[in-house]
Amino acid sequence: MLDYLQFVLAPQMVTGLSLGVAVILVALGLTIIFGLLDVINMSHGEFYAVGAYLALSLGAAGIDFGLLLVLVPALMVPAGFIVERGLIQRVFNSPDRHTTTLLLTFGLGLVIEEVLAVIFGPNTQRPATPIRGAVEILGVMLPNYRLFLIVFGLLIVGAVALVVYKTRLGAMVRAAAFDRHMAASLGVPVSLVFAGAFSFGIALAGLAGVLLAPIYSVFPTMGRDFILLAFTVVIVGGMGSIAGAVVAGLVLTQIQAISSLYISPVWSDPIVFGILVITLMVRPQGLFGRLGRG
Amino acid sequence: MANTFRTLSLSLLVSVASAPLALAADPIKIGVDTPLSGTYAPIGQQVRWGLELATKEVNAAGGIAGRQIQLIIEDEEANPAVAVQKADKLFQVDKVDFLTGTVNSGSTLAVGQIAERANKLMATTVSFADSITTDKCSPNVFRVNARAEQQSAALAAWLAKEKPNPKVYFVGPDYEMGRSTVAAFQKGVKERGGTSLGEVFAPLDSKDYTQYFGQIRSARPQVLYTSTAGNDTVRLLTQMQDFGLLNNLTVVGASGTVTSQNVSAIGTAADGFTTGVGYSPQIDTPENKKFVDAFRAAYKADPDLYGADSYGLILFYKAAVEKAGSTETDKVRAAMRDLKWATPQGEKLMRAGDHQAVQTMYVVQVEKSQFKIKGTVPGDQAIGPDSCTRF
Repeated sequence: MLDYLQFVLAPQMVTGLSLGVAVILVALGLTIIFGLLDVINMSHGEFYAVGAYLALSLGAAGIDFGLLLVLVPALMVPAGFIVERGLIQRVFNSPDRHTTTLLLTFGLGLVIEEVLAVIFGPNTQRPATPIRGAVEILGVMLPNYRLFLIVFGLLIVGAVALVVYKTRLGAMVRAAAFDRHMAASLGVPVSLVFAGAFSFGIALAGLAGVLLAPIYSVFPTMGRDFILLAFTVVIVGGMGSIAGAVVAGLVLTQIQAISSLYISPVWSDPIVFGILVITLMVRPQGLFGRLGRG
Repeated sequence: MANTFRTLSLSLLVSVASAPLALAADPIKIGVDTPLSGTYAPIGQQVRWGLELATKEVNAAGGIAGRQIQLIIEDEEANPAVAVQKADKLFQVDKVDFLTGTVNSGSTLAVGQIAERANKLMATTVSFADSITTDKCSPNVFRVNARAEQQSAALAAWLAKEKPNPKVYFVGPDYEMGRSTVAAFQKGVKERGGTSLGEVFAPLDSKDYTQYFGQIRSARPQVLYTSTAGNDTVRLLTQMQDFGLLNNLTVVGASGTVTSQNVSAIGTAADGFTTGVGYSPQIDTPENKKFVDAFRAAYKADPDLYGADSYGLILFYKAAVEKAGSTETDKVRAAMRDLKWATPQGEKLMRAGDHQAVQTMYVVQVEKSQFKIKGTVPGDQAIGPDSCTRF
């Protein structure tokens, strides 16, 4: 029994945790953009892919992995700013904003995906693992890079939560999300906050791309793989809620990991999407409230 | 109305005028419907190299019955839906005489139906799934490479000697080929006193195999059998190595799991991998040495089983057309049946009853990225019974 816990269950849960942290990183940007701008960013997965391709090509050009973790998100910020100002704001004030922004970002995602395929070719590429080797913990081998991903990812999540909930900037963001007219009349530069928050979400997607490229490989359609799971995490957790995304991300990936021990892992997707359907039926607002309200 | 009629008759006239007349000196067109992108791109690359090398050599020596060979290549993305579209295009637009190149067994089965409808012949040089020449056999489909059961027979005999009564766990890609290879080897292991601890199937092109490790860990196998191929094997074996799962484990697999094309990407995780296969670059015959040298000179890479079997296919088609004295479907089909032809890996026989090639099988083990031959099994002992009932 103890043997089973140590050699089967524990490593499986650690593997699930590394997937969970990865999904949370993608979901975090998604939920912030929705919570603040009320925009469902369907191109979020493609920005994650752009981050991975930037890491791949800059890494091949000899730039150190540690620097990439800063450089790639920094490069994504102006891209996010241009998309928010140049595209989203143009349809933002239309009466059915949800439809127009959804279609706009969906189309943008398709364009980005095809452009990546044209530039980099359709084949899968895998950057070298930046942190090699493995450690043995209680007789179980765990690759160093997965452990790094878990620790670093959780630090990023913690830092984002700290900024949003504990700083003056975060208070402005939450105020704009709660009531943009009131916030504007109190002197919050709302349109700048919107563009900044969108860019921040895109930068997080790019960071997730850098971190996950060595594990999941890099290919033009990679955005699709993660985005369905990330959307599920965001909806189950409550759209716009950071705490919700973290809790739902951890719970859903642990359900996947542990169920994979007993039934074929190909069933993990139906299970997760089944939970999504039940959540929408029983508690459509998700586990937690929206940003600015919780 | 009159205008429409004029346009119609004009376009009819143009199409009649431009319809090609089949002259003896016209090239023989062979359609190549093979994956050039996706997880099986490395396999499609070998198929293309093998076909192109043989075509170049045959054309230089005067072609097939005085006619040059022309290859028309399409990317099927290892996706049966795409393979079918491209096959239709090759038959209907390019008017190819013969079709080959399909890799994914699902693609081969689907394109076989297109060939039947077009009344043309096709051959796979790669697909393993037994069903292609057993219960789903087609009078229009031939297979020049070894199928899952031939590979399994050779490997199971070796495993029974190395590890008597092994406890084996199985990992396969979740489609026709994966299920067929796993079933064939499970049968082979059980017949020789081994135990199957269970199996798990992962979708083609899986990026992360770690979620499958839980079931492998809890089964505690002595031997792992896998029939992943292309880049899937690279990810499976390197991730298993990262998590220390390769320690004290004998890894065996299908012949396409580790090949010249992906062995360097797998690195040390491939050491000790053993398979039953129809080809190794190390086969010690003058014909093979000549082939390997020409292949290396042309492509700066070693041929693997796919390159060798695809090279041999052009020789097979040439022998059949010259025996038939025609490229007509019925005559070529009759000529292909019971045809014996020479390939770099020795003489092959096309069995008339199920269109499956019979050939010597090898047990090959990877040592420092080299494919060492550990044993051979004569073709008639590995082939198994003919269970095709359609023709």
